[in-house]
Amino acid sequence: MRLPVKIAARVGRTLLLMVFAAAGTILLVRFAPGFFSDVREMDTKYAPGARSEMQAENYRQSTWLIASQVAKGWLDGDFGQSRQFGVPVSELVGARIRVSALLLAQGIFGGWLLAICGALPISGLRSDRLLWGLPFTILLAVPTAAMATACILAETGGPVLVLSLLIAAREFKFLHGLLERAWRSPHLLYGRAQGLSWRALVRMHILPNAAQQLCALTTLSIVTALGALVPIEVIFTVPGVGQLAWSAVMNRDLPVLVAVSLLMACVVGVAGMISKDIFTLEAA
Amino acid sequence: MKNRFSAAVLVLMIASAALALRLAPYNYASQDRDAAMAPSTARHVTGTDELGRDRTVRVAAALLIGLAGAAAAAAITTTIAAGIGVLAAFSPPWATAILMFVSDAFLSLPWLFLLMMARSLLPLTASPLETAVATFLVLAAFGWPACARAVYRGATALRSAEWMIQGHACGLQPRQLIRLHLVPHLRPLLLPQFLICVPVFIVAEANLGALGLGVGEPMPSWGAMLLELDNSALLARSHWVFLPIVLLVVVLLILESFTAEVENHA
Repeated sequence: MRLPVKIAARVGRTLLLMVFAAAGTILLVRFAPGFFSDVREMDTKYAPGARSEMQAENYRQSTWLIASQVAKGWLDGDFGQSRQFGVPVSELVGARIRVSALLLAQGIFGGWLLAICGALPISGLRSDRLLWGLPFTILLAVPTAAMATACILAETGGPVLVLSLLIAAREFKFLHGLLERAWRSPHLLYGRAQGLSWRALVRMHILPNAAQQLCALTTLSIVTALGALVPIEVIFTVPGVGQLAWSAVMNRDLPVLVAVSLLMACVVGVAGMISKDIFTLEAA
Repeated sequence: MKNRFSAAVLVLMIASAALALRLAPYNYASQDRDAAMAPSTARHVTGTDELGRDRTVRVAAALLIGLAGAAAAAAITTTIAAGIGVLAAFSPPWATAILMFVSDAFLSLPWLFLLMMARSLLPLTASPLETAVATFLVLAAFGWPACARAVYRGATALRSAEWMIQGHACGLQPRQLIRLHLVPHLRPLLLPQFLICVPVFIVAEANLGALGLGVGEPMPSWGAMLLELDNSALLARSHWVFLPIVLLVVVLLILESFTAEVENHA
């Protein structure tokens, strides 16, 4: 009985987080200058009657009215219509989800592969760990946008490589620390003294013990990758959700922004929930 | 020893940047139209950008603006995080749950997406200085949740410490307890949080700038300098275009080394 209650509580928390994210987005966009009319019209340099026009618009549409209209639309399965493209938001987002999901999956997989391949041998070294880990440290100091621009200039790699390198740099730091502590634990020292091979130690002791933390780290990777999606997709002109979000932000496209915020909150919430509930289920 | 060397290099970079700004005959916005996209010359040691603005002066200004802005934003974030973390640790359970839920809600959205949304919704007709202040304030306003969680954990552990209970039993008021016992013990926790925030904010500003949402022109910033790399005509004329990115990576490596050192001590 306790397990279903726990899972229901986490699902409820995730849903509440999504509502909070949507409400925050509506509030933010609602009070942004230029939401009701173009910013050039609002500026007194361009149109003398702009302030009164803005005030009239504000009276017509309150925040509560916008929020209730958005909520009603969601309940009817309607996410509204994009202000900049004039097409239904569900159509717009739906077409781009596949592109971004594929990029995310490939980037996270590549990043983890690189991080594990780097962290496993380096954490087991007795000296020169700092030197071997230097490429990851340097990668950590390169902003995503610079990495993407460098790839374009060098005509090498693409969005997947940039995302993979970014994830690898972040995860290497955590993984290296985690594995370094694991190698120093007494049972591993005993295993080594008993003559167990490196591979056997990793397979039988390190990976099973670190699985829970690795799972939590995967959730963090998703958040990191979602954040990096925007500059990567904009710089490489990938028609994904990140590029759509950037375009919506630049054009104050509220329906698209709310949908993208919800989507991101949902992905992060569900990933966090799964990573925690897997171990709750196992314990049960 | 390693940390001292990093600090010395950083201080040297800051001093050189300040000196370059002081001694240069131009300011960061001055345009030398006869020398647009110029390579390295006696007048412009590291060349100029497409508007003929001296690159040395602009890089120096970007370094100082970036570091000062990120440090100020990190100080604000750490203060907010300390306030919220301590408040959550010493509040009734329902208030703690609300505060931690709000911090989780902020953490549930990707950081750059959140920043981009908040920054882009600020007035488009703002002056360069206003955009710089707005950019770093947005960073400060959204950077606190992860720090607040760390402070909350630290403060919760301190709340149940024996000397805190004894102080409480001796009749110390909550305000006295916080001032005399809590704040001095939280200081070792707040310093790493501050040091972690500085490079994170510099990277975030660079990414925002590269998306056209950072500090407004003509004020130089790391993000705006990265945009120069998109100009193939400029790239063909001079390799000095890469100077900002090289300096940015060096600054971030130095700051990362401080963070690593403090983390190792913790």
